[in-house]
Amino acid sequence: MTWEIDYLALAPELVIVVTLLVVLALDLFLTRPNKYWTATAAVAGTALAAIPLVILAVEGENVSMFEGSYVVDEFALVLKGLFVVSAYLVLLLSHHYIESERFYQGEYYFLLLASVLGSLVMASARDLIILFIGLELTTGPLFLLAGWRKGDAKSNEASVKYFILGVLSTAILLWGMSMLYGLTGEITFAGLATATAGLADEPAMIVAVLFVIVGFAFKISAAPFHFWAPDTYEGAPTPVTAYLSVNSKAAGFVAFLLVMYLALPELSEIWAPALWILAAASMTLGNLSALRQSNIVRLLAYSSIAQAGFMLVPFAAAAVAGTNIEEGFSATVIYLVIYALMNVGAFATVIAGANRTATGDIDGWAGLGKIDARLGVLIGIFFFSLAGIPPLAGWFAKFAMFRAVILAGGTATVVLAVIAAVNAVIALYYYARVIKAVWLDDAPAEVPARAETPPSVSLRLALLISAALTIVIGFFPAIATFVGDASRIIAAGG
Amino acid sequence: MVETIIFVLMGLAAIAGAITVVMARNPVYSAIGLLGTLFAVAVLYVLQLAHFVAAVQVIVYAGAVLTLFLFVIMLIGVDKEENREENLRFQRPVVGVLAGVIVVMAAALTAFGDFDWVPASGAVIPEVTNGTIQAVAEPLFTDWVLAFEATALLLTIAAAGAIALAHYRRRESTDG
Repeated sequence: MTWEIDYLALAPELVIVVTLLVVLALDLFLTRPNKYWTATAAVAGTALAAIPLVILAVEGENVSMFEGSYVVDEFALVLKGLFVVSAYLVLLLSHHYIESERFYQGEYYFLLLASVLGSLVMASARDLIILFIGLELTTGPLFLLAGWRKGDAKSNEASVKYFILGVLSTAILLWGMSMLYGLTGEITFAGLATATAGLADEPAMIVAVLFVIVGFAFKISAAPFHFWAPDTYEGAPTPVTAYLSVNSKAAGFVAFLLVMYLALPELSEIWAPALWILAAASMTLGNLSALRQSNIVRLLAYSSIAQAGFMLVPFAAAAVAGTNIEEGFSATVIYLVIYALMNVGAFATVIAGANRTATGDIDGWAGLGKIDARLGVLIGIFFFSLAGIPPLAGWFAKFAMFRAVILAGGTATVVLAVIAAVNAVIALYYYARVIKAVWLDDAPAEVPARAETPPSVSLRLALLISAALTIVIGFFPAIATFVGDASRIIAAGG
Repeated sequence: MVETIIFVLMGLAAIAGAITVVMARNPVYSAIGLLGTLFAVAVLYVLQLAHFVAAVQVIVYAGAVLTLFLFVIMLIGVDKEENREENLRFQRPVVGVLAGVIVVMAAALTAFGDFDWVPASGAVIPEVTNGTIQAVAEPLFTDWVLAFEATALLLTIAAAGAIALAHYRRRESTDG
């Protein structure tokens, strides 16, 4: 028995576990009008989880547990910080929404926190089994949450589509992983990295790696494995959609990048071209489909597919070129962090806007800026940031992306950069279309001048935090660079 | 040699069961087909000297889970006619072609890949062949305790979520 558990290093996860059990127990004893206490407990618990994260970050000590399967290093801490912050924001978005629509509250927060726990586990996972269980823990609750509007056929469709395609992708992923294990006898990333050396020509290895890529591509909704995303995003309750497109996507990305970067660096000639294709297809298909959307949530769904493409660009480009992979990896992580923060804000404005105009149609939002100037400005901030307009945070994500691509060099890379540049312009068009509707179009007469129910305090707080982060990172990209540096350290250590 | 023969027999049995699951018109036959597959796979586990996993496979899957399936089938009713109309007219030929591609790929892999699966490449086979419970339990509660506990949570999620989704409040038939 030579195993030890460092409870401080596990503290963020443990705090979340305790919180979700408390929420579930509270739900049992509270009467219907008092159910909002479960939300309070969930928000408080998530905030508490940040404390051990800060302590661990200050200590700055790398902890490795379970024979190197579970690692708490700077990279893991930064991503856990991201997951906790974005989960906190999503909980704030959920609070009023879930209560006013009279959904089950206790179970909602229980499931959401379980998903957060999964993403925390994934950031530290350094072997295939823990990674897989983290991934299941992240996506499993979301199959259920997508169908939380039980009486609504669209929500049922969202849940069933997500479930069936999610399970299929999981099966493919697991098949690929089992082949990786079968071929090498290794389950840890470090072991796989050495054992796969020189096996890039092996046909079974090619199949294994491609299966793993297909499985992850479903999770991050990269084209051509994105078909579930728009329907699921549209049908699910909006806070769940925000969570899907931010946390669960980010967690999927982290897992994907970790496996490729830490476990299979020797096989980059297999996966690099596949990633290149995924990136190019996601950007192009996502953006072109987004052009034709009239519903704001569907627009954001396609936009998040396209953004997944942008995120893959630096890593794929560097891997194809075979140079500066560290730079590519850190640029992808920077993009991921910035995207998560601004996209959560975009969904917060969608909830506020839908609340104000009682519609999710972009045309229905005409003149919103004249009625409610503050909301109009916020919509402007988040959508321009998603488009990558300086000085909002989105510009730095795009800057880091193109910088990494230029550093990588090579023909294939340049082609990918051109595709990305063209797509950035297309994206600007449809993001700007929303802003045009809000600010330049005339408001239809029937929209009331005052909102029936003002946005809740928690929604305002979520908007404030994400807007502040979007603007501050835009002006001081050094914050995001810190994230990138943390991911360069993993490169050295892994 | 014996191992190969048993493997081929049980592999074929597993595939035959799987095909029955998909093709049978009567859902009870599908369930029985699944039973066949589960048993065949259990024998494959025994072949790998994983007696404990084989026993669990039979008790949990073939025993508990399948009984549950049969209960559900009986509750829904076996004699109800299912709507078998297909809206996508080309899906059958397309699936046929794709299945063919996969078979060719698998055949090519087996024929041209010169790879060693784990046992040959030096993985550890547990020494005590009749003590695999211990061999499973020890790593499960030491090296893999985190994964184990997380899986326990997964089951809680499934239970809580399924009840929340299936529970029907009478007064809220439209907005659940």
